[in-house]
This record gives sequence, structure tokens and C-alpha cells, in this order.
Amino acid sequence: MIPDRAHLDRLDRSWRDPPGFWGFLTTVDHKRIAARYIVTALFLMFLAGMLALDMRWQLSVPENTRMGPQLYNESFSLHGSTMLFLVSVPLMEAMAFWLVPLMLGARNMAFPRLGAFSFWLYFGGVLCLWIAHAADITPDLGWFEYPPLSGPAYSPGHRADIWAQMITFTEVAALAASVNVAATILKMRPPGMTMARMPVFLWAMLIASIMTILSMPAVMLVTSMLIADRLVSTHFFSPAGGGDALLFQHLFWFFGHPEVYIIFVPATGFVSSIVETFSRRKLFGHSAIVLSMMSIGALAFGLWVHHMFAVGLPRLGNDFYTAASMAIALPAGLQIFCWIATVWSGRLRLATPMLWVLGFVATFVIGGLSGVMTASAALDLQLTDTYFVVAHLHYVLIGGAMFPLFGAFAYWYPKATGRLMSERWGSIAFIGIVGGFNLGFMPMHFLGLMGMPRRVYTYPPGMGWETLNQIATLGSAVAILGGLVFVANALWSYRHGQPAGSDPWGGSTLEWASPSPPPAFNIAYTPVVRSLTPMWDEGPGLPAMDGLGLDRREVLITSVTAAVPLYRQKSAGPSIWPLASSLAVSAMFIGSIFTPWAIAIGAAPIAATLTGWFWPDRPRAGSDAPRAGA
Amino acid sequence: MAWSAMKRRIALVPGAVLAALTGACAGIQSPLAPASDQAFALHDLLILMTVVCGLIYLLVIAGLVWSVLRARQHAKRAAAAPVDDSALDRSLIASAVIIVTGLTVLIFGSFLADRALLAARAEKAMMVRVTGHQWWWRIEYRNPATGRWVETANELHLPLGRTTRVELASNDVIHSFWVPNVSGKIDMIPGRRNMLDLTPRRSGWFRGACAEFCGAQHAHMALDVRVDDPVAFDAWLAGQAEAARKAQGPGEALFALHCGSCHAVRGTPANGRAGPDLTHFAARRLIAAGTLPMTRGALQGWIAQPQALKPGTAMPAVPLRPAEADAVASYLAALR
Amino acid sequence: MLIVLALAGCSQEARRLVPGPPQTAPNGNADPRIPAYQENLYQISQGGRYFAWYGCSACHGEDAAGPANLADGDWRHGGGFANVFAVIGERHAGQDYAARTPVEQRWQLTAYVRDLSRHHAEKRRRIMLDQKAEPQGSAWLGPQ
Repeated sequence: MIPDRAHLDRLDRSWRDPPGFWGFLTTVDHKRIAARYIVTALFLMFLAGMLALDMRWQLSVPENTRMGPQLYNESFSLHGSTMLFLVSVPLMEAMAFWLVPLMLGARNMAFPRLGAFSFWLYFGGVLCLWIAHAADITPDLGWFEYPPLSGPAYSPGHRADIWAQMITFTEVAALAASVNVAATILKMRPPGMTMARMPVFLWAMLIASIMTILSMPAVMLVTSMLIADRLVSTHFFSPAGGGDALLFQHLFWFFGHPEVYIIFVPATGFVSSIVETFSRRKLFGHSAIVLSMMSIGALAFGLWVHHMFAVGLPRLGNDFYTAASMAIALPAGLQIFCWIATVWSGRLRLATPMLWVLGFVATFVIGGLSGVMTASAALDLQLTDTYFVVAHLHYVLIGGAMFPLFGAFAYWYPKATGRLMSERWGSIAFIGIVGGFNLGFMPMHFLGLMGMPRRVYTYPPGMGWETLNQIATLGSAVAILGGLVFVANALWSYRHGQPAGSDPWGGSTLEWASPSPPPAFNIAYTPVVRSLTPMWDEGPGLPAMDGLGLDRREVLITSVTAAVPLYRQKSAGPSIWPLASSLAVSAMFIGSIFTPWAIAIGAAPIAATLTGWFWPDRPRAGSDAPRAGA
Repeated sequence: MAWSAMKRRIALVPGAVLAALTGACAGIQSPLAPASDQAFALHDLLILMTVVCGLIYLLVIAGLVWSVLRARQHAKRAAAAPVDDSALDRSLIASAVIIVTGLTVLIFGSFLADRALLAARAEKAMMVRVTGHQWWWRIEYRNPATGRWVETANELHLPLGRTTRVELASNDVIHSFWVPNVSGKIDMIPGRRNMLDLTPRRSGWFRGACAEFCGAQHAHMALDVRVDDPVAFDAWLAGQAEAARKAQGPGEALFALHCGSCHAVRGTPANGRAGPDLTHFAARRLIAAGTLPMTRGALQGWIAQPQALKPGTAMPAVPLRPAEADAVASYLAALR
Repeated sequence: MLIVLALAGCSQEARRLVPGPPQTAPNGNADPRIPAYQENLYQISQGGRYFAWYGCSACHGEDAAGPANLADGDWRHGGGFANVFAVIGERHAGQDYAARTPVEQRWQLTAYVRDLSRHHAEKRRRIMLDQKAEPQGSAWLGPQ
């Protein structure tokens, strides 16, 4: 069905945002929200990268007096907290926000206002941490602040509370985003997209969302317990008061380990999409990849003690966690096999996104194998808390998440903007980033094996660490230059890039059916899906379904397993209540850093804004009477 | 015993290669230069893991390169050939078998190494208690001769060939005891007592470090470790057990007045417990937990302005007149 | 107002770990250096640690009564900064705290002591629980 002008105009009128600043504040368009997430997170990645460069500069020379211990401790704490809580997970959520409705042929997410709320609350967390940094109250105890160091006695003031509350912000936002993504994937698939016909990308986002929902409460709980210890004299982590310092570690890492897989699993989704498109064949081992992702998701919850091997827990228990931690290499390895096999049996087109996938495999596998080494409870006693682990975590996070993210950015950029990024500058950026990264972090494996501990603001001369540290600094600088080239490419291509149609790469999944950039309503008709690769199998005419209303916002709800259409659901329109309620929640969170009364007092504005949010303003479902706007 | 000694020698070959690559020949703070039973067990495991993981990585890269080259070749064909994945399905199963085999080998190797770490017989082990403070180490030996505790700080001596059982505790925040040449690390957690068995096999000086972020001066919390043959060790311990020699001059009185609230010198009125025991201070190699060498100049600089050398340290800058400072430094330099 | 809050937050949380010039006794209760100690949480917390290490908590502990109770806000010799400073150094007959405690540390001790009465006993207790293993000067009874 070719939509006519009138059809498109009516859709546009229902789905577009109010103009100007009011539209900016009230939008619930998943694409705009995702764009905000991405811009904010990329800017924070730049800031955290600057912190890293500062630290690397400090460590180039032994007994360097350029940075004192306080400044250095603040730097690595801010770098770690920003990258893990404010950049990695939000970027993955943002890619889900942006792509999931497009890949489902849906018009918006399941809970549009909740999506806006999760961005504003995330932004509140960003401000909480970085305004504190601007005011020189930066948390300085690392990205996981173990008590008693972060307890009331050894960390006076509010720095530790600011860190803990930033986590509360970002974790509530992540929870909201994950619920949204999971509900969308489960209930808003196009007719015919049974679970067996769901692309791997959607499986990845679904599994990551479920993992988030199950693990985030642990970290919210533990940071709230820390604030309670510091503010209202509980003794959760105070041994003399009957508490246990290890309780913090268990609760934190119960979240902390799934967290890194929450960052990794969406990346496997990106890689699967890119590999399929650029090998020009259906992804090999679809079931194997999906089952591997599920096992990674499940196993990830049984590994957390490997962060605590040096703590002195019973040895047989440690060996169990060794076995579990090594076992997770099996599904990860099978996924890599399947991707390589897809390439092997395909007809490769080596464009920038595919380059990033190659860089990912070469880099992430190093990280995975150094992870297998640290997974050994015995060997970890030599490797943990040294630069070996710093190398490992950067190889898996940057190699395993950032490289696929850059590839995904290059891959879906034409869909988002209607223009292609420059291939030449993309390759230059790739070489800079991947080469610089490996030059920067490979030496750290050796530094750890040569005995250099982590989180030290300087080291003594005569240990033989100088040369490797300088190579690491050089590599990091090259990688950051490469990153700047990447960003410059993205900015330049926005105006001057070669125009791309709706499907420049010849993709297989539904997001390539909508125009580039997609209009506010994403797609004119709901597609009907009959295979895993609808864009390839249906030729030029994608079967579609008509019937969603044009004059009010409507989305199609289908059943969970068989994707049978069930009913039309009114979709929420632009609203100020997400912003208002996130302001109220932010006020309560920030207040509770200083006094427990903030929780009681802050509940009132929250209740008020939530009442506004849920105030019914629509007739019962089923009314077909055209209504203007929402 | 002979087998493990031979294994050790075999394992030293790739270890030496690794060491040459990393320039860790100096290796006084390195897992690559093992000097005890425990460190050897971990070194063997490291070699095993590096070899297995290295092989797997080479396989993956070979597969990737082959696939890219083959697929570029096939890209020149206009249309897709019909896809028959049965060969790939068999390869998938084969790769699963390879991965599982590799992981099983590594898990088993890790388990055996873990058992080796605990294999040290500790019936007549020397008992040492090491307590972590911000940012120094309190070391207390249980003197086997008298059964009494002998206290020192920042410099740990171990008898060669005998097992020492180290009891690890913390005074304030979480620290971690790590002497890589001698063993893996174990955390020192307030409210918990962790045990570590060490059986050194090579004498010499080694360096340890605190391996859990413990605050501002975590970077300057090093542990000087000396492994001595048993005769020399016993003599050293006997010397440490004695009280300080009576000193001439005003230094002792000045020290007791200005420094005695935090530092102890047994046999004098100075009996503070907040800072390291200084009874045999001048017999140590380093000052301030490995921050400075034991020289007169470094000592006077440390006493005059510790915040300049270790900013954030708990030791205050005690204002002394030059003559007083000289007297105190001379007094300390005589405390062997 | 945000700026005011930010500035107030600045000095309260500031932590400069650098050597300073040798300190001198405060010049009366309005010495301009006083807020850098009295309003600074790090200095007060350091004062709290030295309070234990110099043995003050042996007599001025939680269950101290009468003049030894420093948390009751009752200053017998005046509650100004310089007053309390002088009492620590000079008015402990028999203990030469003026010589035993460096001037810089006595500033921190003074700030801590004057801060005690401004907070609930709860706050002191939770800090002391964490510092329970810290040696308490002459109250230390020897190794266990």
C-alpha cells in the first residue's frame, strides 16, 4: 500500500510535537529522547576521556608531583562512575529507545511518558555528579566506594553521599527505561513477528532489560544503606556496630557483575545486525546466538563473587565461582563463532560498520581471555587490584561495548539523519581508536604482571614501570584523537554527507522500511512479518496492515509469543508531567543527601506530579471519534 | 617434591621469556619472579593460562582473517549462492567442544593451584599478625621462644624454607596484603581476620604494596619484605624483642614529649599506639612505609614536613627548633 | 541562591592535602583563619582522629560527666575558638599538651571540640563505632 499525501498528513498532525521550547520540554517521541541521551552521554564520554588523559599524563613519570593524591583520587572516581553509570548503560538504553520501535514497525514505545521521565531523571543524575564536581565536592573513593572507607568516620562530608545518590538517580532511570523496552518488545511486535522471527537485536535488548530489572534494585538498596549508615546511624556496614563490611561488597557486586553484561549484551545485538547486513546472508546460528544470550543473562547473576576472591571467603566457594565465571566464556565464544561463520559464508562488504565489528572481535576476545585468567580464584590473587585488571576491564568494555557502539553509530547514522558518514574519515577514526586503544591498554597487562597496583596516583622509580606507562599514555592520546576524528566526521556529515535513501546498506530488518530520517510517526502502515529477514524476503513490497487510527495517537498491541494483533492502544502524547515529576523526584533525592526528612517532605510534590501524570483525560478505549491532538 | 621442583624449572622457561619481554628481571614486586611455594604455584598457573588463552586467541584471529579474505573473494559474485549451513553446524559443535575442553583444563588447573596454596603445613608455623593502618603496617610476631608478642612496623622479615602464618587484620578501612613474589593478595578487612600461609624459597629483599584503595596515600603504603635464612631470622627477631638501648643526649626526652603520644619506643616513656613502633627504627631500610630511604637527610625532611613527602598522611608536622630537630633525628638514627 | 549554596558547599567540603607554612596560635576569637577549620568537615574529622590519638577520649569520652563532658555546650572558660584553643594547650595541669600537640593539630582539635555540641550524640557514636579499632592513646591496654 502506498500511502497518499492525506494519509501522511493526518498521521503527522497526530504524532508531531508541539513547536519550539514547549515541544522540547514535553516531547515523548522516542527518537528525540534517544537523541538527547546519546548527545549527553557522548559529551560525558568526552569529559571522562579527558579525565583519563589527565591521569595517564600523571602516570607517565614516576613520583610525579603534577597531581596530588586528592585530585587523582577524584579523577579516577569520576572517570569510573561517569563511564559506568552515566555513559555505558544509558548509551545502550538510548540505542534501544531509538531502534526498538523502528525495528518493530511501531509508532512509539509502550510507555512514552515513562521514556521521557527516564531521560530527565538520568539527566538529574548527571547534574548531581557533575555540578558537585564543579563545586569541588567530587566523590573521591572510586566507582565502588567500599565501606568503612566510605563510612561516616573515614569519609567526612557529603562526597560519598553524592556518589550514592547519583546511583539512585541513574538506576531508577535505568529501571524505567528497561521496563519500557521490555514491554515494547513483548507486546508491540508487528503481526507475524513471533518470538522465533524476532531479530537478534531485539532479543539482546529484551534480555538486557530483564537483567537490568533484576539487578538494579540491589545497587539502589546498597547505596541507600550506605547513605543510611552515614546519615541516620544505621550499622549495616560497621563491624563494631554489628554490621559487616562485606555485605556492601556482596550486594554491590550482585548488581555490578550483571551491570557489565547489561552493557555487553546490547553490543552483541549491534554486532549481529551489522554482520548480517554486511555479509549479505541470514545470520548463521540464530538459535545458538539467542540461546547464548539467554545463558549469558542467566549466568551473569551467578558470578559476582569473582570480584571478591581476595576477601577471604571459603575456598571451595571461590572455586565454584571460578567454574561459573569461566563457563560464561562458552556462550560468548559460540556467539563469536557464529558471527565469524556468517562472515565466512557470506559476501563481505567492508564498510565502516563492518570494520568496527572486526575491531570488536579482535579486541573483545583479548578482554574475554584475560577475563578467563582473572576468573581463576587462585590466579586472581595476583591479578586483582593491579593494572592487569584495568587492562581486562577496558578491553571488554571498550572492545566489547564501545567498538560495537561506534559501529552501530556508523550503521544507523544514515537512518537517523538521511546522510552517510564519510567512509574515508571513518576508516581513519577506526585506525586511530582501535590502534591507539590497543597501544594504550596492552602494556597494562604487563604492568599488572610486573606488580603495579591500581588506583595509585604515582609510583616509585626503579620498578621498571616507566616505559610501559609512557607507551600507555601515548596510546590513550592517539585513541582520543581518533575519537575526535569520529565526532568531527559525524558533525560534518550531518550537513555535507552523501544523501542516503531509506536503505543504504541493504539491511534485513524493519527499521530500513521507514524513511531516513523517520517522520514523527515512524512508518505509514504496520508491516506484517513472515520471516527473520523481512526486508530481504519480501522484495520491494513489504506486506502491511492498515487500521490504526490516523487522527489520534494509536499503537498496535499484539500477543507475546505469536504476535497476533489484540487491540489498538492509545499512545500518550506530549506531556509536561514527566519533566515535572522528575524534578520532584530529583529534589527529593538531592534533599535526602542532607536530611532524612527530605523523603517525607519530598513525597508531597512527587505525589502531586504523579497525580497530574495519571489524571485521566481521555474517553474509554474503543471510541473512534476523531479527536484533535491527544 | 622432586616433581614440583622439576615442574618449576620447566615453567621457568616461558616465565623467563615473559620476564625478558616485560623487563621484570629486577622483579622485587612481581608475580613473574616467584620466590615461595605459593608464588610458584600461581606462576605455573599463569603460564598454563597464558598458553591456553594465547592458542585460543590465535585460532579466533586465524578464523576471522580467513573469513574476511574468503568473504571478500565471494563478494565479487553478483548473487548469493544458496546457503547450506550443515558444515557450519558441525563446526559450531566442534568449536563448542574445543571451548569446553579448554575451559575444563583451566578450571581444573585453577582448582589444583588453589589447593597448592593451602598445602603448606602450618603446625609449627611462625605466627605473625599484620594490621593495616592508613597508611602503614603494624607487624607483630609471636615470639616462639617466649610466647610474647614482638612489635615492629613496615618491614616484614620471613624465615627461608619455613612456613609463616600471617594473620591479617585492619585497624580502620579495608587494606590488602600483597607481596607478589611471595604470594597472592588477601584483603585486610575490619572485623575479620584472614590467614595467609607463606613458605619462602629464595632469600633477598622484596617489596609488597597495599592492594585495596584505602584513601589518600594508598599509593605510598609499601611493605619491605626480607627473607633470611632461619639463623639470621632468629637473631633478627631476638634483636627486635629487646627494648631500646638507653640513649644519651636530649633526643630521647624530646622524642617522648613531642612524638610519644603516637609512637612507641619500648623502654622509654614514649608509648603511643597511633603510629608505627619505632623501637628499632634505624635498623629498617625505608621510612614511612616505603616512601623514603633510611638516610639522615630523608629522616630530617620527614620529621620536618611529612605533608610535603606524603600529603594527607596522619603524621603532623611537629614544629621543632633546629637544634631540637637535630637531636631527635640523631636519637632516631641510633635506634638499631 | 544556587551559587551561594555552591560556595558554601565548597569551603565545607574542601580538602587540601598540601604542606602549609608553620601555623601560629589563633589571634583572638575573630581570627580570619578560623572558618577554614571550624567550617571544614575534613579538618573537624581530622581533629576527631587526633582527639583519640592524643588520649583525649580517655577522659573526655562518651560517658564523661561534669566539666569533662565536652558535648554539653557549657564552656567554663569561654566558647570562642581562641578560648578553647588556649584551654587545650594550657589548662590541662600535668599534661603538657602545648608541647605534645603541634599547633596545626590543636587547631583541628579545637574545631572538633567546638563542633561536638552542634550535633546529635548519634553522629558522634556512628563515627566512633567505625573508629573503634583505633588506638586510644594512653587508654591502650596492650595487644590482644
